[in-house]
Amino acid sequence: MSHTPDFNTRVAAALANPTLKVAIERTTGTARTKRAAAMAAWPEFPAARALGRDIKDHVIENLAHYLVEFEKNAVAAGTKVHWARSGEEACQIVVDICRKAKAKSVTRAKSMLGEEIGLPHALEAAGLERVETDLAEHIIQLAGDPPSHIVWPALHKTREQVAELFRAHHRDPGAMATVEAMVASARRQLREKFMAADVGISGANFLIADTGAVCTVTNEGNAELTTTPPRIHIVTAGIEKLVPSTAHAMAMLRLLVRSATGAELTQYTTFHNGPKRAEDRDGPDEFHVVLVDAGRTRMLNEGLAEMLRCIRCGACLNHCVVYRQIGGHAYGATYPGPMGSVLTPVLDGLEQAQDLPRACTLNGQCQEVCPVAIPLPTLLRGWREKSWQRGFEPATVRWALVLWRFMAMRPRLYEFAGNLGLRIMPLFSRGGWISRMPMAGGWTAHRDMPSPSGGTFLAQYRRRFKK
Amino acid sequence: MNDARTEILKAIGKVPGNPATIAAQAQRLRAGACRPDRVNGPADEVFIERLRSPGVAATAERVATMQDFPDAVRRYLAAHQLAPALALQPHPDLQALDWSGIATHEHIATDEPAAVGLALGGIAETGSLVFHSSSVSPTLFCFLPLHHIVAVRASQIWPWLEDYADAFAGCAQPRNVNLITGASGTTDIEGTLVRGAHGPGWLHAVLIGNA
Amino acid sequence: MTLEIRPAENSLPHVALFATCLVNAMRPAVGFAALALLEQAGCRVDVPQAQTCCGQPALNSGDTEGTRQIARRNIEMLEPFDHVVVPSGSCAATIRLHYPELLAQDPAWAARARNLAARTHELLSYLADIRGWLPEGISLEASATYHDSCSGLRELGVKAQPRKLLAAVKDLTLRKLEGEETCCGFGGTFCVKYPAISNAIVDEKAVAVEASGAALLLGGDLGCLLNMAGKLHRRGADVRAFHAAEILAGMGDAPAIGEIP
Repeated sequence: MSHTPDFNTRVAAALANPTLKVAIERTTGTARTKRAAAMAAWPEFPAARALGRDIKDHVIENLAHYLVEFEKNAVAAGTKVHWARSGEEACQIVVDICRKAKAKSVTRAKSMLGEEIGLPHALEAAGLERVETDLAEHIIQLAGDPPSHIVWPALHKTREQVAELFRAHHRDPGAMATVEAMVASARRQLREKFMAADVGISGANFLIADTGAVCTVTNEGNAELTTTPPRIHIVTAGIEKLVPSTAHAMAMLRLLVRSATGAELTQYTTFHNGPKRAEDRDGPDEFHVVLVDAGRTRMLNEGLAEMLRCIRCGACLNHCVVYRQIGGHAYGATYPGPMGSVLTPVLDGLEQAQDLPRACTLNGQCQEVCPVAIPLPTLLRGWREKSWQRGFEPATVRWALVLWRFMAMRPRLYEFAGNLGLRIMPLFSRGGWISRMPMAGGWTAHRDMPSPSGGTFLAQYRRRFKK
Repeated sequence: MNDARTEILKAIGKVPGNPATIAAQAQRLRAGACRPDRVNGPADEVFIERLRSPGVAATAERVATMQDFPDAVRRYLAAHQLAPALALQPHPDLQALDWSGIATHEHIATDEPAAVGLALGGIAETGSLVFHSSSVSPTLFCFLPLHHIVAVRASQIWPWLEDYADAFAGCAQPRNVNLITGASGTTDIEGTLVRGAHGPGWLHAVLIGNA
Repeated sequence: MTLEIRPAENSLPHVALFATCLVNAMRPAVGFAALALLEQAGCRVDVPQAQTCCGQPALNSGDTEGTRQIARRNIEMLEPFDHVVVPSGSCAATIRLHYPELLAQDPAWAARARNLAARTHELLSYLADIRGWLPEGISLEASATYHDSCSGLRELGVKAQPRKLLAAVKDLTLRKLEGEETCCGFGGTFCVKYPAISNAIVDEKAVAVEASGAALLLGGDLGCLLNMAGKLHRRGADVRAFHAAEILAGMGDAPAIGEIP
């Protein structure tokens, strides 16, 4: 891997890319409109979201119980259950299963956990042909890009860019005049791959404890075509994906799908439970579930249990003013946007990811739209607190804040400094506005600052009321 | 692997509580009043209305008996200018019908133009068709055809998603459950919805009989 | 003969006006407007001279201990008053929501923090909800659009109150701002820590403000108003920005933000 540029460099590159902004707005704009319509038709949403929160909290509170229950029921259905402490361990388990089966080709249905643990890379490193079957994942595989959104991984590509990619890579691309034509070309391109793969790999939206089933939700039908024909189906799932029963999964599905796309249910809601049975005409001979920790138990024990509620709907990304300007890649991590800024410091370490919790206006819209009421701003503030305690802030910021706090505890000094500033600022003013001033470049690079006049409110008040 | 299992369970750090208490807590966490106001009439009527709603965008019709289903299929094939040939889901209730004039086959091809199936039931709330995999219901029949024509009995419509879940709670589970809500689609290019991504591009439901 | 019955001076609520750093330094007119409005609404108002800042910059920078020091100081200073009123949603929310959180584990201060929090209000919601006050005899012939600042909106539920108050200003037409609940990109120290992102956000906001066609931009938080007004001016737009309190106090004919008196 080449040297990863720092956050501000990535941000600058994203902001300088006008096509990216168009692409982000086309998809997130549609998503926001559709979600708003779905919510307008669901006045009971606040109660439903409180229930979703309580279901997840209940599972997190009893996580060991539900994991063991799920394992017991899955094994009874013939599933092979594996446990992985880390992403590397999970990838190794998957690669070992593929090797043992002498697999050559692997189809993959989109899974953010797979991206998180670096599974695509691990499969390629093991010499396996990796075929991404989700349309968006197919696009970014052709482009060699990482995903830029957790629901729409190819959101950063405009239709024009997708057409260009398909023309370059597809056997029979056709005219590519419409999105319909592009989708049809991908259908032709991937059809045979589905049937020829040795192993199909997918993720999980929910693990159903009382049946041992794995629930996935998709719209394209690629997931079932990925998991049914191959000899082996492997699921990688985070340990937080459990729900007590199918009925609980249904309550979560209402929240997940409306929050993600505004639809009431995805086209395909599938429950996988074990390998092909004697009487079945199709289905995999082996069914594996890899339960992955990769930082989740640490979150449980480090004040981030609420983040384990996350069901990866992407609503917080679609409504985030920062994400909407810089897109997913600028975050430099698997999970972008507000949820990503909480998760990435867990996965990559706070020192490396310290900018993410800071690059947020704390406007709270993410929490407002979250279907499981995760207090994202509070969790981001929590990272800022850790960052402050560990001294990650640039020294200038730190000292400025310490000096400011010292003065804020001393009203006379505070007012003296304030009045001093108010006498200096007008020196830079032209027509009431300051457009350049030393030490104010962060502000004045992009906007003007009104020049203050007449001293502080407190001083004017004393003068006026002769106190 | 056992090390990983032990370590993860240990890292969770809590001694699991009493299973009966946990089950009772879980039982209290069920959706009731907070569900969207969707099922506000007879389940079969709501079901057909949801199927036809813009969000699901399937087509649907009703016939009186199972014997009327082949005619509905014939009409569908003609209307869509499809050849009179299709993959017939190997279900005895379908095989017992008179398919004369249509060449049916049991093996489904990768690019099957049309397939006929029988759903286990439907869910009114969402307009979903329910399939359980079995010897008479292979999973790929729902995903390989371009046109999927599905019979579903009006007496087998569950009002809410939870009603379906409860009907099979505590029973032996099928290998595969597919809740199918409209034809395959994708919004992966600029959020624009396009039907017929990898699965069927058309879904037609034929509701059999009365509730 | 009718006898004018006036409530005794000491039965009026004794209110501390907590002006906030930005109003104190950048726009004293908002402080005077707040003062006038509170008095019209039947309050006995004091401006504690020892006030500095609510501590928000420290809170949002992760300096929790520093924020606690400031919180304790402010609690002590503001405790003697019946109510504390703040012409800013985010500063009011800091006292109302975050002080109790920060001091929850501190046995000596937890109850005092909760007590002060319960008596602290954002100005516009205080006038509308607590005092049941509406402007009388105020008129301004102008079109205005309103931006809902995030903290006030989401942490304190300030949404209907400013609109209700402004609707009582004669000849003032309120025009809808597209994306009125979307953050303007200010975010306190965010705007100077990540200026390029902040700029992209406020640029979009400025475009929306201009598209509203309104002559005035109003809001309830000076930080956001300075950000938006500064961007509008840089873009060469002639939209004039005021804190809503200034309009309600009949100061709408005074210089707007950035205009020379």
